[in-house]
Amino acid sequence: MSLEMMVGIKWVPNTQNVRFDPKTGTLIREGVPSIVNPADLDAVELALKVKDTYGGRVRVITMAPPSAVKGIEHVIGMGVDAGVLVTDRVFAGADTLATSYVLSQAIKKLGLPDLLFFGQETIDSSTAHIPAQVASWLDLPYVYYVDRVEEVNREEGYAVVRRKLEDRYEWVRVELPAVIAAALKSQVPRPVRLSEKLRFHRDKPLQTLTNKDLGLDPRCVGLRGSPTIVAKVTWMPEVPRKRQVFKGDAREAARWLVKKLAEEGILVREDGRWRVRVA
Amino acid sequence: MEGESRMSAETIQKTPAPGEEGGEMPAILRIRLSKKVDCEKQCPEWECLQPSQFDKVWVVGELEEGRVSEPSLQMLTPGLELAKKLYTSLEAVLIGGDREALEKAAREMIYHGAERVHIIHSEALREYMAEVYARVLAAYAHKHRPDVMLFPATMRGRELAPYVANTLRAGITADCIRFDVDEKTGDVDMIRPPFAAIMLAYIKTPTRRPQIGTARPNVFPKPPRDETREGELLWARAEDYGVPRPRSRVLRVERIEKKEIPIEKAEVIVSGGKGVGTHEGFQMLERLAELLGGVVGGSRKAVDMGLVPYERQVGQTGKTVRARLYIAVGISGAAQHTVGIRECGTVVAINKDPEAPIFQHADYGVVADWKEVVTELIRILETGEEV
Ligand SMILES: Cc1cc2nc3c(=O)[nH]c(=O)nc-3n(C[C@H](O)[C@H](O)[C@H](O)COP(=O)(O)OP(=O)(O)OC[C@H]3O[C@@H](n4cnc5c(N)ncnc54)[C@H](O)[C@@H]3O)c2cc1C
Ligand SMILES: Nc1ncnc2c1ncn2[C@@H]1O[C@H](COP(=O)(O)O)[C@@H](O)[C@H]1O
Repeated sequence: MSLEMMVGIKWVPNTQNVRFDPKTGTLIREGVPSIVNPADLDAVELALKVKDTYGGRVRVITMAPPSAVKGIEHVIGMGVDAGVLVTDRVFAGADTLATSYVLSQAIKKLGLPDLLFFGQETIDSSTAHIPAQVASWLDLPYVYYVDRVEEVNREEGYAVVRRKLEDRYEWVRVELPAVIAAALKSQVPRPVRLSEKLRFHRDKPLQTLTNKDLGLDPRCVGLRGSPTIVAKVTWMPEVPRKRQVFKGDAREAARWLVKKLAEEGILVREDGRWRVRVA
Repeated sequence: MEGESRMSAETIQKTPAPGEEGGEMPAILRIRLSKKVDCEKQCPEWECLQPSQFDKVWVVGELEEGRVSEPSLQMLTPGLELAKKLYTSLEAVLIGGDREALEKAAREMIYHGAERVHIIHSEALREYMAEVYARVLAAYAHKHRPDVMLFPATMRGRELAPYVANTLRAGITADCIRFDVDEKTGDVDMIRPPFAAIMLAYIKTPTRRPQIGTARPNVFPKPPRDETREGELLWARAEDYGVPRPRSRVLRVERIEKKEIPIEKAEVIVSGGKGVGTHEGFQMLERLAELLGGVVGGSRKAVDMGLVPYERQVGQTGKTVRARLYIAVGISGAAQHTVGIRECGTVVAINKDPEAPIFQHADYGVVADWKEVVTELIRILETGEEV
């Protein structure tokens, strides 16, 4: 059998230009276009690179409303083989525990892939929870911050990946099947090709799973299955700042700044030199 | 010393409130003890336990090169506040394989405010493996039932905490910037900016325990260190909680040489945005930073333009910084950026647009072309000229 890979992706509102309803503190979703969560494209790219080297199949999975098919279409345009949409009204309102539960059960039903990729975090919640949570549900080893897959050996059941930490790289040998979370901004996702997108429309490599297929207890999914609840939303309190502003000649401005910083005790002039006073 | 001291999570001990001797049981304790969850409504996949069976605030500490990490100590600040509000005690948890290092780290946790430190030890834990550490921690927490568990959202904390939470089927809230206790329900409010950093969401876990939250490094200050503080060390054998066979192992490590101090530790930061625009521009910021003994950071747009490495991005998806002096150059001051500079001492902004929101978040603002101002600043600092 050939290498099986799956990537979890999320279809998210493009928060670069998001607006808020200041009264309710909720997001104004109308008119906000959605995109595939950028970090997930890193994960897709990582998986496609493995496929370039070793062959096999890459599928994506997303738990989302049906509109997320657009996201699946996008990554199929990048060269992903097929997509799975996990969708049901009862799944709505899920926190990360309930989301990871549904995803895990769906993945189990589809058959565990050799490598299960995720993005590092989403732009709409940026928790970075899902990869570890899915690993916990499925009892799989997991590696975060992966920027390279160095080797995959399906016969012997292991992969070697490199993870990028703040001060070092680590090469990790992990048993298959494994969960891999791609390091943020670690890849340059390949462009979408029209020919691939046409394949999406021609072959319809899309599978939909609802709770009819999964048969999960409604108490375990969606809002009801979520231990965390958003109790209220408020404005972020402001940090008190002096807000003194200088307008005018730039050279004067620089002198004004140095003077102010000296008044604050941050800059001191000693022996004809300015330096920062250490706290 | 081996062999673990028993503690009972079942009996919540009444700690008298400050200034109060004996007296009535505080309301919050009464509420916590009488809290009931309807197990019928709970997902049957998840063991249904009553919140009243849980007690104590835990801070899970981490060792970095054999020493307790700064972010772990910082988490003791909200930990202490929560413990006070919940009328319980603050405890730390450490896990690892190096006895001496663990004991030293435990003492540091005590000097910074922990009353007790659980040390989960095994030779098998010498090497950090997320999955192994997480499973032992989860098993340990399952047995001892803390009411609250806080993790620093370091790279390690971010991979450990969700696994622990999930294994306990508990709720988890990432990247909190405040924690509070709801007086009416006894639940912890995990407070975090959702989505954009303009709003704050209060997130609760009313039916599940422990209540798990993380906060990024530098969001909280480190509590004062007091070497005379005493506390209890509770040694536990990791094997008693089951050490799983590691399914992954580190083959090789390569250090990334860093000559500069990391931005999260810098006292002075000169941060550039899209307005600075070019590598040449950033070289000027480098010079200014050098003269001020600081480092250069940037906004996300500057990072996206390849002008600053991602490790030096300031803001919601970058770093929270606590510099004494933060100079924002050509940065508009989007909420996702300014959320990262809340803890800075003095903020300076240089922007040519008088309407730029950054001026609302600055102590000293200059409306001008950044290049002229920075050139002049460099000149004054280089010459030592009086102003
Ligand atoms: C989920 C999410 C997370 C995010 N996380 C972060 C984050 O962690 N950090 C972050 O920074 N951003 C983050 N952002 C992006 C953020 O919303 C802004 O887009 C970004 O901070 C803007 O960067 P900027 O100020 O450099 O650029 P701009 O907003 O384009 O501002 C450039 C500024 O430069 C000024 N300028 C131009 N020329 C000159 C000149 N010659 N002299 C003086 N001033 C000049 C302009 O007046 C303008 O104000 C996030 C966004 C989202 C949606
Ligand atoms: N609804 C979802 N469906 C599929 N994958 C998801 C979903 N939500 C999150 N993920 C994956 O989990 C990663 C981390 O997400 P988060 O924990 O929400 O920050 C994302 O980058 C995705 O790869």
